[in-house]
Amino acid sequence: MEEEKPLTAVHVKLLAFDLLSLTRTPPTFSRSGLSISRAETLGTVTSLDHKPGCFLKFTVDDGTGCVPCILWLNLLTAPQLASRRAANPDGVMMAAEAAASQAALVRIGAVARVWGRITSYRGTVQITVARLAIERDPNAEILHWLDCLRLARSVYDRRSDSHRR
Amino acid sequence: MASAIKSGALVSLEDLVPSSPFFANGSSLRVIGRLQEYSVETAFAIIVDGRAKLKVSTVHLRDLSFRVGSIYQFIGELRIIQPENEATLQARVGRNVDGIDLNLYHESIQMVRQFQAEYKGNQMVQ
Repeated sequence: MEEEKPLTAVHVKLLAFDLLSLTRTPPTFSRSGLSISRAETLGTVTSLDHKPGCFLKFTVDDGTGCVPCILWLNLLTAPQLASRRAANPDGVMMAAEAAASQAALVRIGAVARVWGRITSYRGTVQITVARLAIERDPNAEILHWLDCLRLARSVYDRRSDSHRR
Repeated sequence: MASAIKSGALVSLEDLVPSSPFFANGSSLRVIGRLQEYSVETAFAIIVDGRAKLKVSTVHLRDLSFRVGSIYQFIGELRIIQPENEATLQARVGRNVDGIDLNLYHESIQMVRQFQAEYKGNQMVQ
């Protein structure tokens, strides 16, 4: 039988209450023993904290919980990214421009789909945003809930069970 | 900022009755309904879903235009006024959701609740 590939490279779709109850198991996170490190969430933006040139923090409420998200806007100035800027200045410039244009889309009441790395800040799980999109389809949240339920039952729970055996 | 924001629990207007655990002062809720009335002077909206209706204060909402007959989603906190036991949602977020499949929405809420209950049950077993 073909071995199942790990889910650490995949953006795992989880409902907020599920995502917020992950256990930190550095360098990844664990859902009932299953290692994951990236997630996709979708919900209504209910708070914003924008520090231009530094970060945009916002919360995404999917009806089961509020996922804190952070989009870094300091790619051109952060000292810890100096070597990355020196190695690939055009790439970093493009990433910085993309982050700034995505930040401009985020508004209270908008429905945002967010992909990113799962990180934690002061003991709370959050998503460090790699990419986001604003959804216009009024059924997008419903379809996301149903996707999360299907994947949890048919993939994540099953894999957790096989890890435990 | 972020962690202090409470999630609006998914509830249908027909389930929002005095005996419901959601029917409490300060409950954070997410509701959907068709706009029946809207007063520009008071910023109060009445939304309906089936036979149920709810009064919504939209005083904190910006950039949202109201059209009677359209469907709106609101997230906010419930205020219960005694002795009439009259509920008003103090909305902090709102949007027009014309085109939403309300039957699928109501079915999905039940499925999400069932999943959450199963998940919590499994966590207690482990």
